[in-house]
Amino acid sequence: MARIELVNLRKEFGALVAVKDINVTIEDEEFVVFVGPSGCGKTTTLRMIAGFEDPTAGEIRIGGRVVNDLEPRDRGLGMVFQSHALFPHKTVAQNIEFGLRMKKVPPAERARQVQEVAEMVRLTHLLDKMPAQCSGGESQRVALARTLVTHPSTFLLDEPLSSLDAKLRRELRAECDRLHQALKRTFIFVTHDQEEAMTLADRIVVMRNGVIEQMGSPMEIYSNPVNSFVADFFGSPSMNLLSGEVVHESGMCRFRCASGGFQVGLPDRFNGLPAGPITLGIRPEHVNAVPVGNGATNDLELAVRLVEPLGKETLLYFDVGMERPFVTVSESTAMAELDSGARLGLTLAREQICLFGPDGHRIRAGSAA
Amino acid sequence: MTKSQKNRIGSIVRYTLLTIWAVIVAFPLYWMVSTSFKPSEQWFAWPTVYIPDPWTIVNYLDVWTDRQEVATGQYIISAQRPWIAFGNSLMIALTATTLSVVYGAVIAYGVSRYRVLSEVRMFQLLMLRMIPPIVIVAPLSLYYSALGLLDTATGLILIYFLTTLPYSVWMLKSFIDEVPREVEQAAEILGAPRWRTLVEVVLPLVRSGIVATFLFILILTWSEYLLALLLAKTEVVTLPIELSKYQGTTEGRVYGRQAALSVGITVPLVFIGLIIRKHLARGFSFGMIRR
Ligand SMILES: Nc1ncnc2c1ncn2[C@@H]1O[C@H](COP(=O)(O)OP(=O)(O)OP(=O)(O)O)[C@@H](O)[C@H]1O
Ligand SMILES: [Mg+2]
Repeated sequence: MARIELVNLRKEFGALVAVKDINVTIEDEEFVVFVGPSGCGKTTTLRMIAGFEDPTAGEIRIGGRVVNDLEPRDRGLGMVFQSHALFPHKTVAQNIEFGLRMKKVPPAERARQVQEVAEMVRLTHLLDKMPAQCSGGESQRVALARTLVTHPSTFLLDEPLSSLDAKLRRELRAECDRLHQALKRTFIFVTHDQEEAMTLADRIVVMRNGVIEQMGSPMEIYSNPVNSFVADFFGSPSMNLLSGEVVHESGMCRFRCASGGFQVGLPDRFNGLPAGPITLGIRPEHVNAVPVGNGATNDLELAVRLVEPLGKETLLYFDVGMERPFVTVSESTAMAELDSGARLGLTLAREQICLFGPDGHRIRAGSAA
Repeated sequence: MTKSQKNRIGSIVRYTLLTIWAVIVAFPLYWMVSTSFKPSEQWFAWPTVYIPDPWTIVNYLDVWTDRQEVATGQYIISAQRPWIAFGNSLMIALTATTLSVVYGAVIAYGVSRYRVLSEVRMFQLLMLRMIPPIVIVAPLSLYYSALGLLDTATGLILIYFLTTLPYSVWMLKSFIDEVPREVEQAAEILGAPRWRTLVEVVLPLVRSGIVATFLFILILTWSEYLLALLLAKTEVVTLPIELSKYQGTTEGRVYGRQAALSVGITVPLVFIGLIIRKHLARGFSFGMIRR
């Protein structure tokens, strides 16, 4: 019913191309998260769907119907703005009621629905307050309630949680999830926070510079990134990226790091790779760290620069002569007690190694190169 | 010196300066009011009389009523009609101000939201106001006489409306700019037609700004002298022109009467200012909307 299709959608602001011919189909009742760094065109895309910006080219279809020329109010969408955009001169109750009044719902029915939705997002105690008297999280819920009450087919949410503290963020994130389950509506959620995207989304759309880099389920995006940008963007701490080159030694294909001088053998599927510059990516949890001198053979030995115990696990930072430290995560409690400077042996899980070409694109196997 | 000592000295200096400033500003007002209650021999007495003694309301009676009291014999003035001038001023100033604010609001909204005027055009609009009125008044009176607008209320309303429009556009634009676009768009996507968004969301949020602009323009038009003198004056007399009639080659300056009339000109503005002071404080402090 509310399947939304973006077809070759493009938006230019003068010489700047904010959105470059993107194609996305959002299924009914799907929770899609648009994510990407600041300025990549997320808000612009959302505003085109809502009808506040006219696309330079391309089509927007809602339920199969082209809506490019439809006024925002006729598109059957609800939007929660990043700034919340409450009506400052109206009470919370009047704010929520606004959409119903526009639909000419009779007063008694309006009051009932306002009460109902206020209970749903837990703000009955705020109904008589003015927006200026509400905290960030409360305003957020008012904005959500104001949209909920009009029963839109689709919710557009533009970084709705960005102005909140970490705890409230988690709470409201859970609330969004709960609402999505309960309402069975389409949600399009914009954020630049990869964690928010990972936890909420059925499907993630990763954007950069107005282009969609990758679309897929959170796990797909996490474990199977198509390029080094996506690999780097998701996960906290993010994937270790080491620049270096492919070398061939006695028929084996190996990676030699540009600095630090260590080498790692690559899985067999990369055997056909030609020698040349390459970037190796490995997630922190796919590196095994053990104290040196226990007899095991390690890929490399490094001195810990910083130990960061997080309770359940411990982050270990190593200096490999690159811009960013090499990070591993260990669940062993002994690691939390380590002093910086201690030498550890590291082993990379072979099958989890990702290789990226000089242009950042993923290299899946030797034959592809 | 401790910090609190510094603060105290700071506030003493600040209040002293402000007090001096207030005295400088308020003294002419005080002088106007006190003169209006002085009998004729104290108008320019030496040594200066600061407080009328005895107090008299004869100046007011002379100016605002038909009663010709004692002091008049000394200064014979041609029959003045301040109430008619008052009525003219009220009608002309209110009509011109209303037109200016309404049109100004429409243009300001267009500029703020749809850029109907570019930055350059907006600046040119303000530049228009920088032309001294004396430059345009001679050609204008020719046009006016050709159009039959000379010495008519319509003529004055028209010119006041046009000359104050740049101010109202600029002032109102700054207030409308303060209303976040997203608040309007929120109303729109909740199903509000354009006019309801304007009436229910934009208007209440810029109300204080509109009131402040209205008073500002009203003061300008209410006290305008030059254009009223050169474009009207005989058939249509406004209060500032009326005021100038209380002096003449034979009679000299009739200060007490003039002061009594001046008080009458000032009081309505003060009165309006008091009624809308809540809006003024808000209107002139901007930033009332939390983003
Ligand atoms: N009205 C506009 N006029 C000109 N350029 C604009 C306009 N709106 C957006 N842009 C530009 O388009 C690009 C994309 O902006 P957009 O707001 O969509 O980014 P975003 O992904 O939402 O970023 P953020 O995470 O910072 O909100 C930016 O370079 C921005 O400067
Ligand atoms: Mg944005």
